[in-house]
Amino acid sequence: MALEIKNLQKRFGEKVILKGIDLKLNKGEILFVLGRSGTGKSVLLKNIVGLMRPDGGEIWLDGQEITKLSEREYFPIRKKCGMVFQQPALFDSLTVFDNISFGIKKHFPQLSLEEIKDRVGRVLSLVNLKNVETKFPQEMSYGMQKRASLARTVAIEPEYLLFDEPTTGLDPVTTTAINKLIQSLSHTLKTTSVVVSHDMKCALDIADRIIVLNEGKIAAQGTPTDLRKSSDPLVRDFLSEAVGGISA
Amino acid sequence: MSSPLKIIDEVGGGMIFLKEILSTAFKTPPDRESVLTQIYSVTSQSLSTTVASGFFVGAIMTVQFNAQLKQFDALSVLGGLSTSGTIRELGPLLIAFMLSGKVGAFTSAELGTMRVTEQIDAIRCLGTNPIQYLVVPRFIGIIISSFFLLFAGLLMSIVGGACLAVLVAGMNVTEYIHGIPTYVSWASVAGGLFKCSTFAILLATICTYKGYTTTGGSKGVGRSVVATALSTMVGITLLDWLTSLIIGAL
Repeated sequence: MALEIKNLQKRFGEKVILKGIDLKLNKGEILFVLGRSGTGKSVLLKNIVGLMRPDGGEIWLDGQEITKLSEREYFPIRKKCGMVFQQPALFDSLTVFDNISFGIKKHFPQLSLEEIKDRVGRVLSLVNLKNVETKFPQEMSYGMQKRASLARTVAIEPEYLLFDEPTTGLDPVTTTAINKLIQSLSHTLKTTSVVVSHDMKCALDIADRIIVLNEGKIAAQGTPTDLRKSSDPLVRDFLSEAVGGISA
Repeated sequence: MSSPLKIIDEVGGGMIFLKEILSTAFKTPPDRESVLTQIYSVTSQSLSTTVASGFFVGAIMTVQFNAQLKQFDALSVLGGLSTSGTIRELGPLLIAFMLSGKVGAFTSAELGTMRVTEQIDAIRCLGTNPIQYLVVPRFIGIIISSFFLLFAGLLMSIVGGACLAVLVAGMNVTEYIHGIPTYVSWASVAGGLFKCSTFAILLATICTYKGYTTTGGSKGVGRSVVATALSTMVGITLLDWLTSLIIGAL
Protein backbone atom coordinates (compact mmCIF):
# COMPACT_ATOMS: atom_id res chain seq x y z
CA MET A 1 0.00 0.00 0.00
CA ALA A 2 1.50 3.34 -1.07
CA LEU A 3 -0.65 5.74 0.91
CA GLU A 4 -3.05 4.88 3.69
CA ILE A 5 -5.18 7.33 5.64
CA LYS A 6 -6.88 6.17 8.82
CA ASN A 7 -9.69 8.06 10.53
CA LEU A 8 -8.32 11.48 9.55
CA GLN A 9 -9.95 14.37 11.39
CA LYS A 10 -9.48 18.10 11.03
CA ARG A 11 -11.33 21.05 12.48
CA PHE A 12 -10.95 24.82 12.36
CA GLY A 13 -12.30 26.19 15.63
CA GLU A 14 -15.83 24.91 16.00
CA LYS A 15 -16.10 23.88 12.35
CA VAL A 16 -15.31 20.22 11.71
CA ILE A 17 -13.92 19.80 8.19
CA LEU A 18 -12.84 16.15 8.07
CA LYS A 19 -14.84 13.71 10.18
CA GLY A 20 -12.79 10.56 9.92
CA ILE A 21 -11.52 9.83 6.44
CA ASP A 22 -10.24 6.34 5.61
CA LEU A 23 -8.66 5.61 2.28
CA LYS A 24 -6.00 3.49 0.66
CA LEU A 25 -4.04 4.19 -2.47
CA ASN A 26 -1.96 1.73 -4.48
CA LYS A 27 1.26 2.53 -6.31
CA GLY A 28 0.66 4.03 -9.75
CA GLU A 29 -3.03 4.66 -9.14
CA ILE A 30 -4.83 7.87 -10.15
CA LEU A 31 -7.33 8.73 -7.44
CA PHE A 32 -9.84 11.53 -7.93
CA VAL A 33 -11.32 13.23 -4.86
CA LEU A 34 -14.58 14.94 -5.79
CA GLY A 35 -16.93 17.02 -3.72
CA ARG A 36 -18.60 20.38 -3.46
CA SER A 37 -16.70 23.45 -2.22
CA GLY A 38 -15.90 23.40 1.49
CA THR A 39 -16.08 19.62 1.91
CA GLY A 40 -12.41 19.37 2.89
CA LYS A 41 -10.82 18.17 -0.35
CA SER A 42 -7.93 20.63 -0.29
CA VAL A 43 -7.55 20.18 3.47
CA LEU A 44 -7.07 16.46 2.86
CA LEU A 45 -4.19 17.11 0.43
CA LYS A 46 -2.57 19.71 2.69
CA ASN A 47 -2.62 17.21 5.55
CA ILE A 48 -0.76 14.68 3.40
CA VAL A 49 2.12 17.08 2.67
CA GLY A 50 2.16 18.53 6.19
CA LEU A 51 1.02 22.04 5.28
CA MET A 52 -1.71 21.37 7.82
CA ARG A 53 -1.62 18.98 10.73
CA PRO A 54 -4.59 16.72 11.50
CA ASP A 55 -6.43 16.81 14.83
CA GLY A 56 -6.79 13.03 14.79
CA GLY A 57 -6.04 9.96 12.72
CA GLU A 58 -2.97 8.69 10.90
CA ILE A 59 -1.39 9.04 7.47
CA TRP A 60 0.93 6.24 6.36
CA LEU A 61 3.17 6.91 3.38
CA ASP A 62 5.24 3.98 2.13
CA GLY A 63 4.97 2.34 5.55
CA GLN A 64 5.87 5.46 7.54
CA GLU A 65 3.41 7.29 9.79
CA ILE A 66 3.94 10.97 8.94
CA THR A 67 1.47 13.06 10.94
CA LYS A 68 3.79 13.46 13.95
CA LEU A 69 6.87 14.46 11.95
CA SER A 70 8.57 17.79 12.61
CA GLU A 71 8.82 20.44 9.87
CA ARG A 72 12.44 19.37 9.24
CA GLU A 73 11.44 15.68 9.07
CA TYR A 74 8.87 16.56 6.41
CA PHE A 75 11.66 17.54 3.98
CA PRO A 76 11.99 14.05 2.38
CA ILE A 77 8.19 13.60 2.43
CA ARG A 78 7.74 16.79 0.41
CA LYS A 79 10.41 15.60 -2.02
CA LYS A 80 8.38 12.41 -2.39
CA CYS A 81 4.98 14.16 -2.64
CA GLY A 82 4.93 16.97 -5.18
CA MET A 83 1.96 19.27 -4.83
CA VAL A 84 0.36 21.30 -7.61
CA PHE A 85 -1.66 24.09 -6.06
CA GLN A 86 -5.07 25.44 -7.00
CA GLN A 87 -3.39 28.67 -8.07
CA PRO A 88 -0.20 28.53 -10.13
CA ALA A 89 1.72 29.75 -7.03
CA LEU A 90 4.74 30.64 -9.15
CA PHE A 91 7.13 33.06 -7.43
CA ASP A 92 6.33 36.28 -9.25
CA SER A 93 9.76 37.85 -8.69
CA LEU A 94 11.51 34.92 -10.39
CA THR A 95 11.63 33.83 -14.02
CA VAL A 96 10.16 30.49 -15.08
CA PHE A 97 13.68 29.01 -15.12
CA ASP A 98 14.38 30.22 -11.57
CA ASN A 99 10.97 28.99 -10.42
CA ILE A 100 11.59 25.50 -11.75
CA SER A 101 15.23 25.34 -10.64
CA PHE A 102 14.26 26.49 -7.11
CA GLY A 103 13.27 23.01 -5.96
CA ILE A 104 15.93 21.26 -8.08
CA LYS A 105 18.75 23.23 -6.39
CA LYS A 106 17.33 22.39 -2.97
CA HIS A 107 16.78 18.69 -3.53
CA PHE A 108 19.65 17.97 -5.95
CA PRO A 109 22.49 20.25 -4.80
CA GLN A 110 25.04 18.08 -6.63
CA LEU A 111 23.70 19.03 -10.09
CA SER A 112 25.72 21.44 -12.22
CA LEU A 113 24.10 24.46 -13.88
CA GLU A 114 24.15 22.65 -17.22
CA GLU A 115 22.36 19.65 -15.72
CA ILE A 116 19.79 21.95 -14.10
CA LYS A 117 19.21 23.73 -17.44
CA ASP A 118 18.79 20.36 -19.10
CA ARG A 119 16.27 19.20 -16.51
CA VAL A 120 14.30 22.47 -16.68
CA GLY A 121 14.09 22.12 -20.48
CA ARG A 122 12.98 18.52 -20.14
CA VAL A 123 10.14 19.22 -17.68
CA LEU A 124 8.98 22.22 -19.70
CA SER A 125 8.70 20.04 -22.79
CA LEU A 126 6.76 17.47 -20.72
CA VAL A 127 4.10 20.13 -20.09
CA ASN A 128 4.30 21.40 -23.68
CA LEU A 129 5.91 24.75 -22.95
CA LYS A 130 8.71 26.13 -25.11
CA ASN A 131 10.95 29.21 -24.89
CA VAL A 132 9.45 30.48 -21.64
CA GLU A 133 12.52 30.08 -19.40
CA THR A 134 13.26 33.81 -19.27
CA LYS A 135 9.64 34.91 -18.89
CA PHE A 136 8.17 36.09 -15.60
CA PRO A 137 4.89 34.45 -14.54
CA GLN A 138 2.89 37.64 -15.15
CA GLU A 139 4.03 37.62 -18.80
CA MET A 140 2.24 34.30 -19.44
CA SER A 141 -1.40 33.28 -19.68
CA TYR A 142 -3.05 31.61 -16.70
CA GLY A 143 -3.04 28.24 -18.45
CA MET A 144 0.68 28.53 -19.19
CA GLN A 145 1.33 29.47 -15.57
CA LYS A 146 -0.54 26.35 -14.46
CA ARG A 147 1.60 24.21 -16.73
CA ALA A 148 4.81 25.90 -15.55
CA SER A 149 3.69 25.22 -11.98
CA LEU A 150 3.18 21.57 -12.88
CA ALA A 151 6.67 21.51 -14.45
CA ARG A 152 8.14 22.96 -11.24
CA THR A 153 6.53 20.18 -9.22
CA VAL A 154 7.61 17.30 -11.47
CA ALA A 155 11.15 18.72 -11.70
CA ILE A 156 11.97 17.36 -8.23
CA GLU A 157 10.93 13.87 -9.42
CA PRO A 158 8.23 13.14 -6.86
CA GLU A 159 6.81 9.65 -6.52
CA TYR A 160 3.39 11.08 -5.67
CA LEU A 161 1.65 13.95 -7.42
CA LEU A 162 -1.05 15.78 -5.50
CA PHE A 163 -3.20 18.10 -7.61
CA ASP A 164 -5.43 20.66 -5.92
CA GLU A 165 -8.15 21.56 -8.44
CA PRO A 166 -5.70 21.76 -11.34
CA THR A 167 -8.27 22.97 -13.87
CA THR A 168 -10.07 25.64 -11.84
CA GLY A 169 -10.30 28.91 -13.74
CA LEU A 170 -9.26 27.40 -17.09
CA ASP A 171 -11.17 27.39 -20.36
CA PRO A 172 -12.54 24.02 -21.60
CA VAL A 173 -9.75 23.49 -24.15
CA THR A 174 -6.98 24.12 -21.61
CA THR A 175 -8.88 22.04 -19.05
CA THR A 176 -8.83 19.06 -21.41
CA ALA A 177 -5.15 19.64 -22.13
CA ILE A 178 -4.28 19.75 -18.42
CA ASN A 179 -6.32 16.62 -17.72
CA LYS A 180 -4.52 14.75 -20.49
CA LEU A 181 -1.27 16.02 -19.09
CA ILE A 182 -2.09 14.63 -15.63
CA GLN A 183 -2.81 11.25 -17.17
CA SER A 184 0.29 11.22 -19.39
CA LEU A 185 2.57 12.45 -16.58
CA SER A 186 1.27 9.77 -14.25
CA HIS A 187 2.04 7.13 -16.85
CA THR A 188 5.33 8.62 -18.13
CA LEU A 189 6.78 9.34 -14.69
CA LYS A 190 5.06 6.32 -13.08
CA THR A 191 3.73 8.46 -10.25
CA THR A 192 0.85 7.82 -7.90
CA SER A 193 -1.60 10.71 -8.23
CA VAL A 194 -4.32 12.23 -6.06
CA VAL A 195 -6.41 14.80 -7.90
CA VAL A 196 -8.83 17.04 -6.03
CA SER A 197 -11.44 18.28 -8.45
CA HIS A 198 -15.03 19.26 -9.15
CA ASP A 199 -14.76 17.78 -12.60
CA MET A 200 -16.61 14.44 -12.73
CA LYS A 201 -16.25 14.21 -16.51
CA CYS A 202 -12.49 14.31 -16.24
CA ALA A 203 -12.55 11.89 -13.30
CA LEU A 204 -14.59 9.38 -15.31
CA ASP A 205 -12.11 9.70 -18.18
CA ILE A 206 -8.79 9.33 -16.40
CA ALA A 207 -9.26 8.15 -12.79
CA ASP A 208 -8.54 4.61 -11.68
CA ARG A 209 -10.66 5.25 -8.63
CA ILE A 210 -12.91 8.06 -7.42
CA ILE A 211 -14.02 9.09 -3.95
CA VAL A 212 -16.76 11.61 -3.33
CA LEU A 213 -16.54 13.70 -0.16
CA ASN A 214 -19.58 15.19 1.49
CA GLU A 215 -19.65 17.04 4.81
CA GLY A 216 -16.21 15.79 5.78
CA LYS A 217 -16.90 12.11 5.07
CA ILE A 218 -16.55 9.78 2.12
CA ALA A 219 -20.03 9.61 0.64
CA ALA A 220 -19.17 7.22 -2.20
CA GLN A 221 -16.16 5.54 -3.72
CA GLY A 222 -15.28 3.13 -6.47
CA THR A 223 -14.00 2.87 -10.01
CA PRO A 224 -15.52 5.13 -12.67
CA THR A 225 -17.64 2.15 -13.79
CA ASP A 226 -18.92 1.65 -10.21
CA LEU A 227 -19.82 5.31 -9.85
CA ARG A 228 -21.68 5.40 -13.16
CA LYS A 229 -24.02 2.82 -11.64
CA SER A 230 -24.31 4.53 -8.26
CA SER A 231 -27.73 5.51 -6.93
CA ASP A 232 -26.25 7.97 -4.39
CA PRO A 233 -28.00 11.34 -4.99
CA LEU A 234 -24.76 13.32 -4.67
CA VAL A 235 -22.93 11.09 -7.13
CA ARG A 236 -25.85 11.33 -9.53
CA ASP A 237 -25.76 15.13 -9.20
CA PHE A 238 -22.10 15.11 -10.20
CA LEU A 239 -22.80 12.64 -13.00
CA SER A 240 -25.65 14.68 -14.39
CA GLU A 241 -23.40 17.74 -14.50
CA ALA A 242 -20.68 15.70 -16.18
CA VAL A 243 -22.62 13.89 -18.85
CA GLY A 244 -25.80 15.93 -19.01
CA GLY A 245 -27.91 13.37 -17.18
CA ILE A 246 -27.80 9.60 -17.24
CA SER A 247 -30.49 7.07 -17.23
CA ALA A 248 -30.98 4.88 -14.19
CA MET B 1 -13.20 36.79 20.33
CA SER B 2 -13.59 40.04 22.28
CA SER B 3 -11.30 43.00 21.50
CA PRO B 4 -8.98 42.82 24.56
CA LEU B 5 -8.55 39.07 24.07
CA LYS B 6 -7.90 39.60 20.37
CA ILE B 7 -5.19 42.17 21.16
CA ILE B 8 -3.55 39.75 23.65
CA ASP B 9 -3.81 36.98 21.06
CA GLU B 10 -2.16 39.17 18.40
CA VAL B 11 0.62 40.35 20.74
CA GLY B 12 1.29 36.76 21.79
CA GLY B 13 1.27 35.60 18.18
CA GLY B 14 3.71 38.36 17.23
CA MET B 15 6.08 37.43 20.06
CA ILE B 16 6.05 33.75 19.11
CA PHE B 17 6.72 34.79 15.50
CA LEU B 18 9.67 36.97 16.64
CA LYS B 19 11.10 34.01 18.54
CA GLU B 20 10.73 31.89 15.39
CA ILE B 21 12.51 34.54 13.29
CA LEU B 22 15.39 34.85 15.76
CA SER B 23 15.86 31.11 16.22
CA THR B 24 15.77 30.58 12.43
CA ALA B 25 18.23 33.44 11.86
CA PHE B 26 20.72 32.01 14.37
CA LYS B 27 20.32 28.35 13.37
CA THR B 28 20.40 28.88 9.61
CA PRO B 29 21.76 32.32 8.72
CA PRO B 30 20.10 33.76 5.60
CA ASP B 31 21.79 34.16 2.27
CA ARG B 32 23.96 37.31 2.36
CA GLU B 33 22.84 38.43 -1.10
CA SER B 34 19.15 38.40 -0.18
CA VAL B 35 19.85 40.43 2.99
CA LEU B 36 21.83 43.01 0.98
CA THR B 37 19.02 43.15 -1.58
CA GLN B 38 16.54 43.89 1.20
CA ILE B 39 18.78 46.55 2.76
CA TYR B 40 19.12 48.23 -0.62
CA SER B 41 15.40 47.93 -1.33
CA VAL B 42 14.28 49.35 2.05
CA THR B 43 16.88 52.15 2.04
CA SER B 44 16.18 53.22 -1.53
CA GLN B 45 12.42 53.15 -0.97
CA SER B 46 12.62 55.50 2.00
CA LEU B 47 15.75 57.58 1.52
CA SER B 48 14.23 60.53 -0.35
CA THR B 49 11.29 60.98 2.02
CA THR B 50 13.51 60.53 5.08
CA VAL B 51 16.02 63.09 3.84
CA ALA B 52 13.28 65.59 3.00
CA SER B 53 11.51 65.04 6.31
CA GLY B 54 14.80 65.24 8.22
CA PHE B 55 15.53 68.62 6.65
CA PHE B 56 12.16 70.02 7.66
CA VAL B 57 12.21 68.53 11.16
CA GLY B 58 15.55 70.27 11.80
CA ALA B 59 14.08 73.45 10.36
CA ILE B 60 10.95 73.25 12.51
CA MET B 61 12.93 72.56 15.68
CA THR B 62 15.12 75.57 14.98
CA VAL B 63 12.15 77.85 14.33
CA GLN B 64 10.41 76.72 17.53
CA PHE B 65 13.50 76.94 19.76
CA ASN B 66 14.43 80.28 18.20
CA ALA B 67 11.07 81.75 19.23
CA GLN B 68 11.72 80.77 22.87
CA LEU B 69 15.47 81.32 23.13
CA LYS B 70 15.63 84.79 21.66
CA GLN B 71 13.47 86.05 24.55
CA PHE B 72 16.31 85.09 26.90
CA ASP B 73 19.07 86.15 24.53
CA ALA B 74 20.31 82.52 24.49
CA LEU B 75 20.62 81.84 20.75
CA SER B 76 24.10 80.39 21.26
CA VAL B 77 22.48 77.14 22.43
CA LEU B 78 20.03 76.94 19.50
CA GLY B 79 22.10 74.42 17.48
CA GLY B 80 22.71 72.20 20.49
CA LEU B 81 19.13 72.08 21.74
CA SER B 82 17.62 71.61 18.30
CA THR B 83 20.03 68.80 17.34
CA SER B 84 19.80 67.11 20.74
CA GLY B 85 15.99 67.01 20.53
CA THR B 86 16.15 65.58 17.03
CA ILE B 87 18.71 62.89 17.88
CA ARG B 88 17.06 61.77 21.10
CA GLU B 89 13.42 61.96 20.13
CA LEU B 90 12.19 63.20 16.80
CA GLY B 91 14.77 61.52 14.56
CA PRO B 92 14.13 57.91 15.59
CA LEU B 93 10.37 58.55 15.76
CA LEU B 94 10.32 60.12 12.34
CA ILE B 95 12.31 57.29 10.76
CA ALA B 96 10.03 54.73 12.37
CA PHE B 97 6.89 56.43 11.07
CA MET B 98 8.39 56.81 7.60
CA LEU B 99 9.38 53.13 7.52
CA SER B 100 6.00 52.12 8.88
CA GLY B 101 4.14 53.96 6.12
CA LYS B 102 6.34 52.85 3.25
CA VAL B 103 8.24 49.68 4.07
CA GLY B 104 5.87 48.23 6.68
CA ALA B 105 2.85 48.45 4.41
CA PHE B 106 4.86 47.21 1.41
CA THR B 107 6.32 44.20 3.24
CA SER B 108 2.98 43.25 4.74
CA ALA B 109 1.26 43.44 1.33
CA GLU B 110 4.07 41.53 -0.39
CA LEU B 111 4.11 38.64 2.10
CA GLY B 112 0.31 38.69 2.37
CA THR B 113 -0.05 38.33 -1.40
CA MET B 114 2.47 35.48 -1.39
CA ARG B 115 0.45 33.80 1.36
CA VAL B 116 -2.96 34.06 -0.31
CA THR B 117 -1.61 33.00 -3.71
CA GLU B 118 -0.09 29.90 -2.06
CA GLN B 119 3.49 30.93 -2.92
CA ILE B 120 4.53 30.45 0.72
CA ASP B 121 3.03 26.94 0.77
CA ALA B 122 4.84 26.23 -2.50
CA ILE B 123 8.15 27.29 -0.93
CA ARG B 124 7.55 24.83 1.92
CA CYS B 125 6.62 22.08 -0.53
CA LEU B 126 9.84 22.68 -2.47
CA GLY B 127 11.86 22.02 0.67
CA THR B 128 12.67 25.54 1.84
CA ASN B 129 11.78 27.19 5.15
CA PRO B 130 9.85 30.35 4.17
CA ILE B 131 10.81 32.07 7.44
CA GLN B 132 14.46 31.67 6.48
CA TYR B 133 13.97 32.47 2.80
CA LEU B 134 11.44 35.31 2.98
CA VAL B 135 11.08 36.69 6.49
CA VAL B 136 14.58 36.76 7.99
CA PRO B 137 16.17 38.79 5.12
CA ARG B 138 13.33 41.34 5.30
CA PHE B 139 13.55 41.50 9.09
CA ILE B 140 17.32 42.13 9.07
CA GLY B 141 17.00 44.47 6.08
CA ILE B 142 14.49 46.73 7.86
CA ILE B 143 16.60 46.92 11.04
CA ILE B 144 19.91 47.69 9.31
CA SER B 145 18.29 50.16 6.91
CA SER B 146 16.70 52.06 9.75
CA PHE B 147 20.19 52.95 11.04
CA PHE B 148 21.30 54.21 7.62
CA LEU B 149 18.11 56.21 7.34
CA LEU B 150 18.49 57.58 10.87
CA PHE B 151 21.99 58.77 10.00
CA ALA B 152 20.81 60.39 6.74
CA GLY B 153 17.77 61.95 8.42
CA LEU B 154 19.81 63.38 11.29
CA LEU B 155 22.43 64.80 8.96
CA MET B 156 19.72 66.54 6.96
CA SER B 157 18.03 67.79 10.13
CA ILE B 158 21.29 69.56 11.07
CA VAL B 159 21.44 71.03 7.56
CA GLY B 160 17.77 72.11 7.79
CA GLY B 161 18.30 73.54 11.27
CA ALA B 162 21.42 75.45 10.19
CA CYS B 163 19.64 76.88 7.11
CA LEU B 164 16.77 78.17 9.22
CA ALA B 165 19.16 79.46 11.88
CA VAL B 166 20.75 81.62 9.16
CA LEU B 167 17.43 82.69 7.64
CA VAL B 168 15.31 83.21 10.76
CA ALA B 169 17.68 83.75 13.68
CA GLY B 170 20.36 85.64 11.75
CA MET B 171 23.09 83.25 12.99
CA ASN B 172 25.96 81.99 10.89
CA VAL B 173 26.44 78.27 10.26
CA THR B 174 29.63 77.97 12.35
CA GLU B 175 27.89 79.53 15.33
CA TYR B 176 24.99 77.07 14.99
CA ILE B 177 27.20 73.98 14.66
CA HIS B 178 29.58 75.14 17.39
CA GLY B 179 26.81 74.76 19.98
CA ILE B 180 25.99 71.16 19.06
CA PRO B 181 28.70 69.27 21.05
CA THR B 182 27.65 71.04 24.26
CA TYR B 183 24.20 69.42 24.23
CA VAL B 184 24.71 66.34 22.10
CA SER B 185 26.58 63.83 24.23
CA TRP B 186 27.43 60.21 23.42
CA ALA B 187 24.65 59.28 25.83
CA SER B 188 22.05 61.10 23.74
CA VAL B 189 23.39 59.47 20.57
CA ALA B 190 23.20 56.05 22.28
CA GLY B 191 19.64 56.87 23.43
CA GLY B 192 18.63 57.73 19.86
CA LEU B 193 20.18 54.53 18.52
CA PHE B 194 18.45 52.49 21.24
CA LYS B 195 15.09 53.97 20.31
CA CYS B 196 15.76 53.49 16.62
CA SER B 197 16.64 49.82 17.07
CA THR B 198 13.60 49.04 19.25
CA PHE B 199 11.26 50.79 16.81
CA ALA B 200 12.83 48.91 13.89
CA ILE B 201 12.50 45.52 15.60
CA LEU B 202 8.86 46.27 16.43
CA LEU B 203 8.08 47.41 12.89
CA ALA B 204 9.91 44.48 11.25
CA THR B 205 8.12 42.00 13.51
CA ILE B 206 4.64 43.45 12.98
CA CYS B 207 4.82 43.83 9.21
CA THR B 208 6.31 40.39 8.58
CA TYR B 209 3.93 38.75 11.07
CA LYS B 210 0.81 40.40 9.66
CA GLY B 211 1.87 39.63 6.08
CA TYR B 212 2.90 36.05 6.80
CA THR B 213 -0.34 35.21 8.61
CA THR B 214 -2.68 36.83 6.08
CA THR B 215 -5.87 34.92 5.28
CA GLY B 216 -8.92 35.71 3.18
CA GLY B 217 -7.73 36.57 -0.33
CA SER B 218 -7.25 40.12 -1.58
CA LYS B 219 -9.50 41.55 1.14
CA GLY B 220 -7.31 39.80 3.67
CA VAL B 221 -4.21 41.45 2.20
CA GLY B 222 -5.94 44.83 2.53
CA ARG B 223 -6.83 44.06 6.14
CA SER B 224 -3.23 43.05 6.90
CA VAL B 225 -1.86 46.28 5.48
CA VAL B 226 -4.29 48.39 7.50
CA ALA B 227 -3.60 46.36 10.64
CA THR B 228 0.15 46.75 10.08
CA ALA B 229 -0.14 50.53 9.74
CA LEU B 230 -2.35 50.82 12.80
CA SER B 231 -0.39 48.44 15.02
CA THR B 232 2.98 49.93 14.16
CA MET B 233 1.82 53.52 14.78
CA VAL B 234 0.31 52.62 18.16
CA GLY B 235 3.18 50.29 19.04
CA ILE B 236 5.88 52.82 18.15
CA THR B 237 4.16 55.54 20.20
CA LEU B 238 3.89 53.25 23.23
CA LEU B 239 7.46 52.07 22.80
CA ASP B 240 8.64 55.68 22.54
CA TRP B 241 7.10 56.38 25.92
CA LEU B 242 8.60 53.20 27.40
CA THR B 243 12.11 53.78 25.99
CA SER B 244 12.01 57.42 27.17
CA LEU B 245 11.27 56.14 30.69
CA ILE B 246 14.14 53.61 30.49
CA ILE B 247 16.63 56.15 29.10
CA GLY B 248 15.50 58.70 31.71
CA ALA B 249 16.05 56.22 34.53
CA LEU B 250 19.61 55.36 33.40
